[in-house]
Amino acid sequence: MAGETTTSVDRSTSDGMLGRLRKALEGPNTLGQGRPFWLGFTVLVALLLVYPMFRSSYYVSNTAYLLVSAFLGLSLCIVWGYTGIFSFGQVAFYGIAGYTFGIVSINVTGPAGTMAGLLVGIAVSGAFAFLVGYFMFYGGVSDVYVAIITLAVTLVLNTFMGQTAGEEWAVGAARLGGFNGMTEIPSLALGVGDAAVEITDLAFYYFVVGALLLTYLGLRVLVNSDIGYVMVGIRENQDRTELFGYDTQKTKLGVFTFGGVLAGFGGVVYASWGNYIDPSVFGLTFAALPIIWVATGGRKWLSGAIVGTFAVTFISQKLSVFGGQYSLVILGALLLFVILILPEGFVPQLAKKLPALLDRTGGGDS
Amino acid sequence: MKGDSDPQTSDRVDKRTQPNRRQFLTAAGATGALALTAGCSSMGGGSGSDTLKMGVLEDQSGNFALTGIQKYHAQKLAVEEINAEGGINGQEIEMIAPDPQSDNQRYQELARRLINRDNVDVLFGGFASSSREAIRPIVDENQQLYFYTNQYEGGVCDTYTWCTGAVPEQQISTTLEFLTDEFGDNFYTIAADYNFGQITAAWYRKVANEIGANVMEEEFIPLDVSQFGSTINRIQEADPDFLVTLLVGSNHASFYNQKNASGLEVPMNTTINMAQGYEHLRFDPPALANMYVGVNYMQEIPTEQNRDFVDRFYERWPDADYVGQMAQNSYFTTYLYKQAVEKAGTTDQDEVLKVLDEEPISVEAPEGTVTTDPETHHVTHQIRLARADESHEITFRNQQAVEPYWLRETPYPGCDLTQTTGASEDEETTQYQPQGV
Amino acid sequence: MASILPQVLNLFLQFIDSFGFLVLSAIGLAIIFGMMGVINLAHGEFITVGAYGTALSFHAGLPLPVAMLVGVALTTVFGLILEFTIIRRLYGRLLDSMVATWGISLIMIQGLRIVFGSSLPSIGTPLGSVQYGSFSYSTYRLLLAGASLVLLGVLYWVFTSTDFGTRARATIQNEEMSRALGTDTNRMYLLTFGIGSALAGLTGALYAPTMTIVPGMGSTFLVEAFVTVVVGGASVLVGTSGAGLLLGFINAVFSNLFGTFAGRMALLVTTILVIRALPRGITGLLEDVRGET
Repeated sequence: MAGETTTSVDRSTSDGMLGRLRKALEGPNTLGQGRPFWLGFTVLVALLLVYPMFRSSYYVSNTAYLLVSAFLGLSLCIVWGYTGIFSFGQVAFYGIAGYTFGIVSINVTGPAGTMAGLLVGIAVSGAFAFLVGYFMFYGGVSDVYVAIITLAVTLVLNTFMGQTAGEEWAVGAARLGGFNGMTEIPSLALGVGDAAVEITDLAFYYFVVGALLLTYLGLRVLVNSDIGYVMVGIRENQDRTELFGYDTQKTKLGVFTFGGVLAGFGGVVYASWGNYIDPSVFGLTFAALPIIWVATGGRKWLSGAIVGTFAVTFISQKLSVFGGQYSLVILGALLLFVILILPEGFVPQLAKKLPALLDRTGGGDS
Repeated sequence: MKGDSDPQTSDRVDKRTQPNRRQFLTAAGATGALALTAGCSSMGGGSGSDTLKMGVLEDQSGNFALTGIQKYHAQKLAVEEINAEGGINGQEIEMIAPDPQSDNQRYQELARRLINRDNVDVLFGGFASSSREAIRPIVDENQQLYFYTNQYEGGVCDTYTWCTGAVPEQQISTTLEFLTDEFGDNFYTIAADYNFGQITAAWYRKVANEIGANVMEEEFIPLDVSQFGSTINRIQEADPDFLVTLLVGSNHASFYNQKNASGLEVPMNTTINMAQGYEHLRFDPPALANMYVGVNYMQEIPTEQNRDFVDRFYERWPDADYVGQMAQNSYFTTYLYKQAVEKAGTTDQDEVLKVLDEEPISVEAPEGTVTTDPETHHVTHQIRLARADESHEITFRNQQAVEPYWLRETPYPGCDLTQTTGASEDEETTQYQPQGV
Repeated sequence: MASILPQVLNLFLQFIDSFGFLVLSAIGLAIIFGMMGVINLAHGEFITVGAYGTALSFHAGLPLPVAMLVGVALTTVFGLILEFTIIRRLYGRLLDSMVATWGISLIMIQGLRIVFGSSLPSIGTPLGSVQYGSFSYSTYRLLLAGASLVLLGVLYWVFTSTDFGTRARATIQNEEMSRALGTDTNRMYLLTFGIGSALAGLTGALYAPTMTIVPGMGSTFLVEAFVTVVVGGASVLVGTSGAGLLLGFINAVFSNLFGTFAGRMALLVTTILVIRALPRGITGLLEDVRGET
C-alpha cells in the first residue's frame, strides 16, 4: 500500500501554527487525516459539547461514565496496541489510583483534598507501574509472561484487598473496607473554598469530555512523534529496533509507566463518580474487559480504542437492561465474531470503507 | 505489516484537494439530525402516571444468580398477587428489573438508571453486601427509598435504607446458647475471608464472651478456594465441640462434601448455609448432618401459612429449585411496602419514609409476624433453630421473636433513625461494626 | 516423637493433594499451550463440561466410573468441534486466541446456567476415609493424587514411545520442518487439542465428586492451571511435574502454617518471582543445567 506519511498530508495549507499543529497530530500511526477528517472531528466535538442540551441529566451522566472507561482503554492501547506489551494489569493501576484518591480525599477534606487526591492517585499508580515495569522489562520478561505477571499482580491485589474488612485496615480516617469496598469517597471538586466546582452531573460530563479530548490529541502527538515510531518498532520487532540503537527497555518502561498514569486517571474519575470503590476492580473479569474493548475497536489505533470501549460498554449496559439472562452470551458471541471476522477491530475496517461510502453518496467529484 | 500504513490511499486524497462540500454537509447533517431527534423524545423523565414504579436489582446471571433468581421470582410473585387484588391504593405496580450480573459496577450503573431515568418510587435489591455498599451512596445522594432484603453482617444505619434481612444478634445469640448447652463450650470458626465472614465471626466472639463459650480458633478462607484439605486437618487437630461455618459461594460449599469424605464428624452451626443455598438438597446425605442454623425462614417450615406460600410459589415457578430465606424476605418486604404506602396515602418517598419511622408496622409473612423497628430501620424476625439430620430432614425448635436490638444500644452504636426522618436533615449513612471484640 | 508423625503425615498428604490438584488442573492447558501456543482461557469451562457430563450421567443412573468416561468423551467431542470451527483459525495469533477463548468462556458459563440452572445436585465422594492417629483423610483424595502421577506416567510413555508422540514433539520444536518431513500438522493440531480437551474433561470428571457442580466451577482451576503452566515452561511433562512439585510444596507449607489465605498469596508471589528469575520456566532451568554438564 503506497500511502506513506509525507505524500498524503495536504501541503497546500500554510506552514503556520495550524500547519505545524496538524503535522504533529498526523502520521501513519493514527487513523484519519486531512481536511475532511478534521472537519468531521470538529463537528463531532461540537455535538458532544451541545449534547447536554438535548438529553436529560441521566443520559448525560451515563454517557460521561461510559467515556471514563476510555482512559483505561487508551492506556491499554498505547501499552499493547502500540508497543506490544500485553498487560493484563491496567486495571491494577486503575484500582490503585482509585483507592489512593479515596484515602487522600477522605483524610484531607474539602476541594483541596480531592485535588491532592487526584494528583497523588495518578502519581502512586504511575510509580507502581514503574516498579512493575522495571521488574519485568529489565528482567527480560516478554510476551505472554508479561500477561501472566501482570495478571498475577492484579489477583494478589484482589485477594489482599478483599480481606481488609476490619477496622484496623484503615489509612487515617479512610477504611479500606475489604470486600465491601471503600465508601463515602467525596467527589472531585476543582477550585478553592466556596468557589470550587464539584465535578458531578453536568460538570462531570464536561470534565470527562474535555479530559478525553486533550488526552486523545496529546496521544496523537505522542504516537506520531519519534517516540511513537520507536514504540511501533518495538511492537513489530524488538530485537531489530534494539539493533538500530534504540534503548527498548527504557522506552517500554516509559510507556508502561505512562500507561499506569493514564489508567490511574480513569480510576480516580471512576471513584469520584460512584463515591465508592471495591476490590472487584482487581478481579479477573474486570481485568479482561479492557482487552475486550480494545480488541473489538482496534487495538492499534487510538480512535479504535475509544470507539471500541464506548461501543462495548454501551452495548453490554443495554444488554443488562434488556437482554436478561442472555446478555453475557451475546457479549461472548460478539467477541468471537470480532476476533474471527474483524481481527484488526472494526474501526480500521470502518475507516477503510468510509471514504468509499461517502464517495458513493456524494456522487463523486473531480 | 499490512495494518500499519494509513488506510486512506494517496490517490484519493490527490483527487480531492478540497473537501467535497456535498459529502461533508450530508454527513454532518445526518449526524446532527439523528442527535436532535434522538434527544427530543426523552427530555426529563417524570412519571405521574397511574403505575407505581418498583425498581428491583437482583442478579439473574453471574456468581450470585442462584439466590438472585429466587429473590426475583419471589418478588414477582408478590407483585402479581398485589396487582391481582387491585394494586396499591388503586395503582398497579410496574416492576422494572434489569440484571446487574453479580457485578458491582453494573449495580452502580443500573441504580442510577432506575433512580434518575425511570424515577422509581422504591428500590429493592442487592445480594452481596458489597453490592449494597456500591449503591448506597447513590441512594443517599438521591434520597431514594431503598430496601435491602438480605441477611447480612449488620450495622447499617441509614436514613433512606431499610434492611429487612436477619442480622447477627438475631441469628447468633439464641443459637449459641443452645449449642453450648447441648455440645460444650469449645467451638472452631471457619469463615469466608471478607467483611461478612469477618464481622460475623467477630459477632460469634462477642456472644461467646457474653455467655462464657470459647472460640478455639478462627480460619478465614478466600472466596475462590475450593479445596479444604488443610482446613479439615486443622479442625481435626483442634477437636472442637462444634464447628461454626460461615462459608459463602459455590466454591466454599464444596467444603461439606470434602468434610464428609474425610470422615470428620462434628456438629455444625451456620447463619447462612442451607437456608439460602439449599445445600441440604444439593448434597447427598450425610454431608450436612447435624447442621444447625438459627434462621428466620426455610422452605421446610411446617406452619400452614408457610405451606400455602410455598405451594403458591411453586405453582407460579414450577422449575424453581428452592425458595429460601432471602426470597421470603423479598416477598414480605413487598407487602410491607404496600402497607406503608397505604398508610401514607401516597407514593411520595419522603412521606413513606416518615410513615415507616412513626411507629412499627407488622406484616404476616410466611415465617410468621414480622414487625418493623423504626429506630434501626431493621425488622423483628421469628427466629427458629433448624437442624438437618443424617438424612437431611429439617426439624425446627425454639421459635421466638427477636428484635434487632444491637444498633439501638447506647452509647455505641446509638443508632436512632426516628430522629432523622425525611430528606437531608442530619441524615445518617453509616455502617457500624462490633467494637473491641 | 510419635506425636510428630501425624503432623508430618498431614503435611505430606497436604502436599500430594496440592500437587495432584495443580497437575490435574494444568495438564490439559499445558498440552494445548505447550504444543500449540494457544492460550485457552476457556480451559476452566472444559473442566466444567467434564464435571457436568459426569454428574448428568451419574444422576441418570450410570455407575460413577462409566459416568466419568462419558464426561471425558463429551469434553473431547466438544473440544474437537471447537478446534475445527474456531481455534484452528487462531494458530500463531497468541493474544487473539486469548480473547476468542474468553468469549467462548462467557458463552459457556452463562449457557450452562441457562440450560441446566444454577446448580446440579452433587455427587457424593466415594470410598470413605482412612484413619491415622486422631486424624482421618478421604481415600478418594489419595486416589486423585495417585491419578495425577499415573497420568504423568502415561503421557511420558506416549510422548517418548509412540509414533504420535515423536511427531508431536517434532511439531512443537519446528513445525515447518516437521511438515516437510511428512507430518500432517493440521491433523496433529486437531489430535493434540482433542487430547488437551480430554485431559481437562478428565480433571472435571475426577474432581466432580468433591465439589459443587455449578456453571462457574471452572474458575477455581483456572488460576492454578495458568501459574503451573507458566512456571513449568514449554515442556509438558518436565515443566508440569516440576511446577507441581514446587508450587504444591509452597502452597502446602504456607496453608498448613498460616492458613489458606497465606497459601494463596504465596502461590501467586512465587509465580511472579519464578517468571522473573527463570523466564523460560522450570523447563528452561533444567535445559540450562543439562546443557552445562
